This record gives sequence, structure tokens and C-alpha cells, in this order.
Amino acid sequence: MKLRRLAIGLAALLLASPLATPLAAQETLLRARLNADIRSTDPGANRDANTDSVVLHILEGLVAFRENTAVGPLLAESVVISEDGLAYTFTLRDGVRFHNGATLTSADVKFAWDRYLRRETNWRCLPEFDGRGATKINAIETPDARTVVFRIERPTALFLTNMARADCGGSGIFHRDSLNADGSWRSPVGTGPFRLGEWRRNQFIDLTRFADYAALPGTPDGFTGNKTPLVDRVRWVIIPDSAAAKAALVSGAIDINPDLNSQDIEELRARPDMRLSSTATMGTMALLFQTRDPLLQDVRIRRAIALALDYPELVRALSDGLSTYNPAVIPIASAAHGAVQREGFTRNIAEARRLLAQAGYRGQPIRMITTQRYDSLMQMAVITQAMAQEAGINIQFEVIDWATQLDRYTRGDYAMMAFTYSARLDPSLSFDMMTGPKATEPRKVWDNPEAQALLRESMRVTDPARRQAIFDDLHRRFIADVPMIVLYNDANVAAHRASVQGYRAWASGQPRFWGVRVQ
Amino acid sequence: MIGYAARRLLAAVPTLLLVAIAVFLLMRLVPGDPAQLMLGDAASLEDVQSLRLSMGLEAALPVQFLRWAGAVLVGDFGKSITNGEAVLPLIVSRFGVTALIVLLAVGLAALLAVPLGMFAAWMQDRPADLAVVGFATLMLSIPSFWLGLILLLVFGVWLRWLPVVGYVTFSEDPLLAITYIVLPVATLVLVEVGVLTRMARASTIDVLNLDYISHARAKGLSEFTVLRRHAFPNAFAPTLTLIGLVLGNLLGGIAVIETVFTLPGLGRLLVDAIFQRDYPVVQGVMLFVAAIYVGVNLLVDLAYPLFDPRVTVE
Repeated sequence: MKLRRLAIGLAALLLASPLATPLAAQETLLRARLNADIRSTDPGANRDANTDSVVLHILEGLVAFRENTAVGPLLAESVVISEDGLAYTFTLRDGVRFHNGATLTSADVKFAWDRYLRRETNWRCLPEFDGRGATKINAIETPDARTVVFRIERPTALFLTNMARADCGGSGIFHRDSLNADGSWRSPVGTGPFRLGEWRRNQFIDLTRFADYAALPGTPDGFTGNKTPLVDRVRWVIIPDSAAAKAALVSGAIDINPDLNSQDIEELRARPDMRLSSTATMGTMALLFQTRDPLLQDVRIRRAIALALDYPELVRALSDGLSTYNPAVIPIASAAHGAVQREGFTRNIAEARRLLAQAGYRGQPIRMITTQRYDSLMQMAVITQAMAQEAGINIQFEVIDWATQLDRYTRGDYAMMAFTYSARLDPSLSFDMMTGPKATEPRKVWDNPEAQALLRESMRVTDPARRQAIFDDLHRRFIADVPMIVLYNDANVAAHRASVQGYRAWASGQPRFWGVRVQ
Repeated sequence: MIGYAARRLLAAVPTLLLVAIAVFLLMRLVPGDPAQLMLGDAASLEDVQSLRLSMGLEAALPVQFLRWAGAVLVGDFGKSITNGEAVLPLIVSRFGVTALIVLLAVGLAALLAVPLGMFAAWMQDRPADLAVVGFATLMLSIPSFWLGLILLLVFGVWLRWLPVVGYVTFSEDPLLAITYIVLPVATLVLVEVGVLTRMARASTIDVLNLDYISHARAKGLSEFTVLRRHAFPNAFAPTLTLIGLVLGNLLGGIAVIETVFTLPGLGRLLVDAIFQRDYPVVQGVMLFVAAIYVGVNLLVDLAYPLFDPRVTVE
């Protein structure tokens, strides 16, 4: 009798388990892994990459990045740039609604932008629009309900690019209901394909399908194109541990892991119930040099280190064969990456030794900083040390946590560093992340006044051919100066269950759940 | 007893103050900056300093400490730098998850370990004793994350009996909630049962060698009565001390278990906050954990007389 009761109890437990839930549910639910909780829902303010990913499903900007990293319209139907490059006129699409049912008007655009431009908002991209960076917005005019005119102080090739940046929250347009009475952020009311449902801190974030979403025609294209939601609900399940995430995917507790651990790729590829989607991202893995270091200020030593490395082998080991060597600051996926950008270094131990002897190097230790937070950075340090040793270069590495490394990167407090740059979707931004005067910006790796002048020009001119010529020139100078060694662009591999259809990884590395179906 | 408890609580005040100062200073000494982490690799020094200013991190350290300590005295632990949540409710909600898992696990582990340890002591040097000691040593040696992952693999992935990730509160759905805590509790029970079994066995062996046990046996009492009535009260005291220490330790956070089973507990909160340099959360959690240690050890001391008649609380 007791055994029977126990069996009934166990059966009740099993029936009550979440395994039974999807069978009973009517709605279509897509469950995706997120490796850490989001910081807020305030676009581009209190943020990290996870925050951007979630927010970009809820909010949309006037423009957004396409699959090929060009900028295309999203909430705007068209963008007209004046001949002098000082006025951008956006015509809004007709019939776009906010999640609260209100129709999008130019006043909403101005309202959102006025908040972005206030210093107290702490918008990450404010410097690009208040005169400290690319340009300054002098005025935002709304001549009619569907037209917005941005008047800027000086022309820039990056105005639309900066607007579209994911780390700027895509400059998402939000309804004024998103704010509390005192102007502080409450919750996003946007125009995106999903609206924010329940956010249970450190457990999950639910997004629900926005039934009145005004989709663009065609197919999904980067962060723009047709973004029709095909599932009723997306649940981002927060799973910090990658082994637990794999178990969750295999057991069916989640449907998709948008950022797979490279060690799990082969195992999951072999499973008939799994599908993988991979692509090279715009993130850059590199070895940084401090060109003010007593030893490394000598370009011959930096070049010798560059010549000591076996790039195909190094990149294969670090990326598990998913990426190829890219010596350029411009990512391979960028349209500006061409034959010139493929010119890099080839291993030449004899030449490395000759340069070292010429520089008077006698095995003095060169300290390299790395972290265990990212496996690839740790491996990068280990393999670089071994390869450099063959040329007689004595690299010793110091392992610190990521927060400390980021702090030392910002202060330029290192000799060498294994580092990863987040994705920049424009070549000027790629060069800008590492080019600048160390006196005022110690984090910048490449302090070359001529390069800085070229970079500024690339941000000003809008002619694609002229810009490409500048980027080619910059690349050659970069290889000659060796302020850092670019190794490869990180690959993004997503794994999903066979029941998920329509998911594609793309160069930004951020997941997109519109156009995705669960059967 | 009330006077004793009050004196112990008063004596804890300087301890907590020292903990507060130490944690505050240590966090400031560790390199890394919450503003820098928030802004990422594209931030200039100017941006970082501007954000630090808005976070109140540019004030002198004594001023920052006094502001924080003064607020704590009136129950305000501040707000998380990372997400703006009030720290005290955050700690309380996360502690609820950790406490549930830990109390269940330590309770079950003690219920298993004490009889098992006493049995092993009674069977000292015989095969049964060797088997128990072997089991306890094995459990002591297995890292909790590995054991957790194995249980996850067997019961979550292969057999699919239990959910692999997530957490449901009892107030939402009691039956479902049980399925979510079975694996973390089982992992913790298996890990803790090893250390408690060994302690129970060692202290029972000591007691069984004392003269009064021989006297009890000479009176003709059954072995069960000897063990239950005469050996247990004296042998249990050291195990109780250990249970107190284990409880204090685990209630302060079971970060590894919480990470493997994606439980929103206190340990994960603390680890995440350290990585994010979320000063108010780290300081609040550490102060809370110190208070938990003090409280649990006080409760253990007060519980001694219940088990050991030789001890009185004065």
C-alpha cells in the first residue's frame, strides 16, 4: 500500500514537472539561454551585451544595421542627407504603433532623443552626438507628424552608424509611458516585435509577441528587414554555467543556446536532434603592446614577436578551427575588408632573431596580462608564450580577473595584453577603438598622429572609394608600426534543437528571435 | 539563558563592525572599477570618472564608509550599482532560496550521517566500518560541481525525471518547486554527509572507549540502549558544533551549487557582485553572512544543553 502511494506521488511529481508543461501549453514558446542577467531595460544607459540583445527585441531606432553591416532604415521610411551633410531628414513609416497602441509620430522621436541627449541619462553614445566625438546635434525639428530633421554641427560619415549601434540601444524610440513621472526609466514601451513580459531577476526574462507589430516587407536583414515575431513568447533563461546550459539544451529545457562553448561544438553537431549555425563576428581577438614600455617601445622587438608566431596554427587552436587568421583591425565580415587587409605577418624565426639582436634584446622578461574569464584569452597567452620562446623571446604572463584587466587596459598599465574587442560595425569605429593619443586616452594602443589624421578624415568623408583608400593606407601603416597583433575575429556558434526553424547567427554576434519558429 | 544570548549578541557588534570595515576596504583595494565595467572597452577615462561621480564613488573613502554604515544602521543597505535594486530586499529574497536548500540538505545529511557514523564506530575495523568510511571519504573527495553535473546528467538529461535548469517557489506551485530542488539538495546532502559521518564516527569511538560505557554494558543493557542513551548525547556534541559551522558556511552561499543548478541564491548574488564590483551588494551580503555566522553559532551553543547534560548555559 505504501509503495503504491509512493508510486502515485512520484507520478504526480513527474506530471507536474516542466517536461509536461510544453505538451499542455497552447502558446508557442521559444526558450533561449542567456549567460547572465541583463542590467536594465534602459537602452544604451545601464547596459552590457546581454542587455542590448534583449532591448533590441523591444525597441527600434530610426535606422539599424543590415546583415552586411551597412545601415538601413527601420522606423524611418527614408533618410535624406542634405548636400552639405548637415541635415538628416527622416520620414517615418506610416502605421507604426507602440506597444501601448499609440501611433508613432515625430514628436515621439524628438521626445526619446531629447532624453538621450541629456547628460543625466548616462547614454553611452552621448559623446558621439554632443560634440565631443563625431558631431553635435544642434537641433531636432519636427515639421510634421511623420518628418524629423536632425541638424548637426559638422558633417560625419558616422552619424547613421552611431545611431544604429547596438551598444547605443540602437537609439531606440520609446513612448513617453516608458518613463516615470520624474523622468526616470520605468519599463520599455517600444515599437519592436516583442514587448517586455515578466523579468524575474537572475532567473528569466519573458518577451511576448506584439500582435500589432508593423513589419517591413521582405526577409530579416540584420537588425532591420522583416522582423515579424513567429512565436508567442520568448523566454531568455539565465544559465551562467556552460555545462548546465548544454544539459539544458540536450534535455529540451531550452530550445537554443545562441553562444555555444567551442568545446561542445563537435558533440552537439553529431546529435541528430541539434542544428548549428555559425558565423564570423566583428569581435576582434588581439595581442596588445604598450608602445611606451621600455622594451616594447622598440618597433623591432614588437615586429620580432609578430614574426615569431605561427598564425594558422595559433588561430586554429584558439578558435577550434572555426576562424581564420585576420591581421587587420577591420573584421573579415566587413565590406571594407579586402586584399590589402589580408596582408599580415608570416612566421620567420630567423628574421625575428635578427631583429632582436639588432635591438639588443637579451632575454629580458616581457610581461603579458591575461584572464581566465575567457578561455581563448588564456590560451592565447599560453600559446603565444610557447611560440615566442622559439625565437628566444621571454614572455611571462600574469593572470588577473576581467575587471582588473579592463581597468589596466583603460589606464594603459601593461606591457603586453591578450585582449578581446567587442564588435564595431564600421571600419572607422574599428580603427577608433585602438587609435588615439595616449596622453589623453591611455587605453588607445596606436599613438600615431598621421594615422589619427587619416582616421578623422575617414569619419568626415562619405565617398566610399575615398574611405576605402584611407582604410587601406591605415592598414599598411598599422602593420608597419605593430602597435598590436590582430589574430582573428571570434566565431559565433549557436546550437538549437531541430524543432527551431529560421534562426541564423550573424556578424554582430547578437541573437535575433524574430522570424524564428518553434514546431 | 536570555541574558547569555543578549551578551553574545552584544559581543557580536564589534565583530560585525570589523567585518564591515574589512569588506569595505578590501573591495576598494581590489583593482577594477564598476563604472569601467559598465562602460566597457570603449570608455575613456573621462567617461569613467563622470560615471564614478554619479555613483558617488569619487568621495573620500571615510566619507563613503560613513555614509554607507550610517544608512545600514537605519536598515538601508543602499542600491545595487549594477541594476539599481534595493540591496536588503535583494539579499532577503536570495537568502530564502539558499536557506531552503541548505536547511533541507544539512538536516537530511545530519539524519543520515549521525546514525551512519555511530554504526561505523560500533562496527569499528570490521567490513561495515570500512565500507562507511570509504563512502564518507569518497563523498568528501568529490567536488560539489562535478557531483552536481553528474546528477544533472543522469536525472535531468538521460532519465529526464527532473528539470535541469530553473527555480519555482513553493508559493507558486509546491509540487513543481520540489522537482526543482531535488537535485541541488541531493548534491549538497551527498557532499556534507561525508564530513558529518566521519565526525560522528570519530567522536563515537572516543566515547565508546570511556569507562562509563563499559559500566553500562556490564549492567546488561542492550547495545542499542548503550548507544542511544549513553553514547549518543556525548558523541553528538562535536558533530553539533560541526553542523553549526557547516550551516554558517553554507548559508553564506552555495555559489557552486547555485551556478550549476541556476538557482537565484545568495552565493551567486555575491559572486556576480564581486565580478561586477557592485560594492553595495558585496558589502551588504558579507555583513549579512557575518550576522548569519554569529546567529547560527549562538543557536548551536544554546542547543548544547539539550543534547549534552554536562553543559549549562550561564
